[in-house]
Amino acid sequence: MNLLEEKQPDCPTDKNTCPLQDRIRRLEEKCKELEALSQVDALTGFFNYRYLMNALEQEMERTRRTGVPASLIMGDLDYFKRINDTYGHENGNLVLKTTAGIWRSNLRRIDIPCRYGGEEFVFILPGTRLPQAIQTAERLRRSLEKSPLSLDGKPIVLTGSFGVTGIVQDQDMTSGSIIETADQLVLRAKSNGRNRVCYDTYSSIAESTGVRDEEKNLLLGTDRPTKQKR
Amino acid sequence: MTAKKRPPTTICVASGKGGVGKTSLSVNLAYALVKSGSRVLLVDGDLGLANVDLLLGIPIKQTIRNLLDESGNPQDSLVFPIENLGILPATSGVPEMVTLGPDEQSRLNGFIEDLAVGFDFVILDTAAGIGPSVLWFNRQALYNIVVLTPDPTSITDAYALMKVMARQHPKNAFFTILNAVANEREGRKVYNNLQQVVSQFLSMELELLGTIPADPAVNRAVKAQTPFIQSEPECPAGMAVSTIAAKIEKWGK
Ligand SMILES: Nc1ncnc2c1ncn2[C@@H]1O[C@H](COP(=O)(O)OP(=O)(O)OP(=O)(O)O)[C@@H](O)[C@H]1O
Ligand SMILES: [Mg+2]
Repeated sequence: MNLLEEKQPDCPTDKNTCPLQDRIRRLEEKCKELEALSQVDALTGFFNYRYLMNALEQEMERTRRTGVPASLIMGDLDYFKRINDTYGHENGNLVLKTTAGIWRSNLRRIDIPCRYGGEEFVFILPGTRLPQAIQTAERLRRSLEKSPLSLDGKPIVLTGSFGVTGIVQDQDMTSGSIIETADQLVLRAKSNGRNRVCYDTYSSIAESTGVRDEEKNLLLGTDRPTKQKR
Repeated sequence: MTAKKRPPTTICVASGKGGVGKTSLSVNLAYALVKSGSRVLLVDGDLGLANVDLLLGIPIKQTIRNLLDESGNPQDSLVFPIENLGILPATSGVPEMVTLGPDEQSRLNGFIEDLAVGFDFVILDTAAGIGPSVLWFNRQALYNIVVLTPDPTSITDAYALMKVMARQHPKNAFFTILNAVANEREGRKVYNNLQQVVSQFLSMELELLGTIPADPAVNRAVKAQTPFIQSEPECPAGMAVSTIAAKIEKWGK
């Protein structure tokens, strides 16, 4: 919002106290406040979906320009529906809030924690390679598992399933495809038993082992003109 | 368990790309082989993100990691979910891209050899990727199965894995299973291309063990922590696994 950065106009009547200027200042402050609110999820204090998608585009652009990779973690609370059904929505909200607090204290200041929706969270890790991001996800997983919560006097062990994927210099990568990959990995973590981290195994091993284009084309049958209809 | 004279047939299951169904197939093949009378040792070679135990919902006593760290009695770590099926679990939830040192390698090899006595088959389920432990497990095996799906990344990664293996320890042949195919034809097509490239560039034989259809029963079984070959033996994936198991059975003869 450029409005906010604009220089304060001088008081047209050259007075020391100017009601107009005061008003402008108050409006500006309100505006900043609202801007912050519009980026934040009220319950968890994490950034919201809208901010996430903007930030993701920005990180991808940075990676495209500088080649410095970034990573993205998606985390989903296990059995959250069950908690909601058993203990009620108030407690469900408490669980989300507590989880967010635990995870925030396990992240660096440059990391961008977001609430993706429901019990799903996304963390953008700028300037972070995949192996390091996997360690971070593992830390998030462990920290939650280690901090049981008391609901209605009962100790509840919360766990989460995580997917970690890299943001690299790749023409085909879109914010949508990154989120989709992370989502698939979370599903895999769930189907492998929950409370675990699944990650992209360096999206293509073929790149690093020197599989040549000639071999690739033959493998995928892409050497001949395709007959596919558009 | 009566010790057999002949050593067990060792089979390694690998894939290159992750999440293509190695663990699910290893578990179900093991059950199918047991069902037709073989004794099977299933080794969870995914030292980073073990999941055989979770697929079966079995409690684990001791893992490969514990064995290497604390040198317990290997026999104690075997779990038997059913008669004649032994499982050597790995360790869970430590995704640190585990590598084995040379010492650990030879000790692990010793453990597995000891444990394998009395079994007809040893199935080694490996991690995704082409890390040292994946290549090591593949070297230990007499038969190398590569699992892939029709997904392009899975195809190229499976080939990359075979290329690396062929370079490191030339063998006569690789065996493939085409998983999660829309139909047999799709699977054959992928296999034909792969077979051609493997023969042309790696000078190796490639044999298709079978195709397995994409089948919702597989995910159902994962959620229920039971092999689909047990809970829904007649499901399309179950039938396909049985056919493949019958071929593998002959390797032990
Ligand atoms: N034939 C199939 N039809 C439908 N879903 C399948 C099929 N085979 C595997 N899947 C699903 O794919 C997912 C991954 O399977 P599995 O864990 O066995 O793969 P993996 O290769 O061992 O993965 P990893 O590399 O993480 O060890 C599971 O959710 C499983 O249910
Ligand atoms: Mg597996």
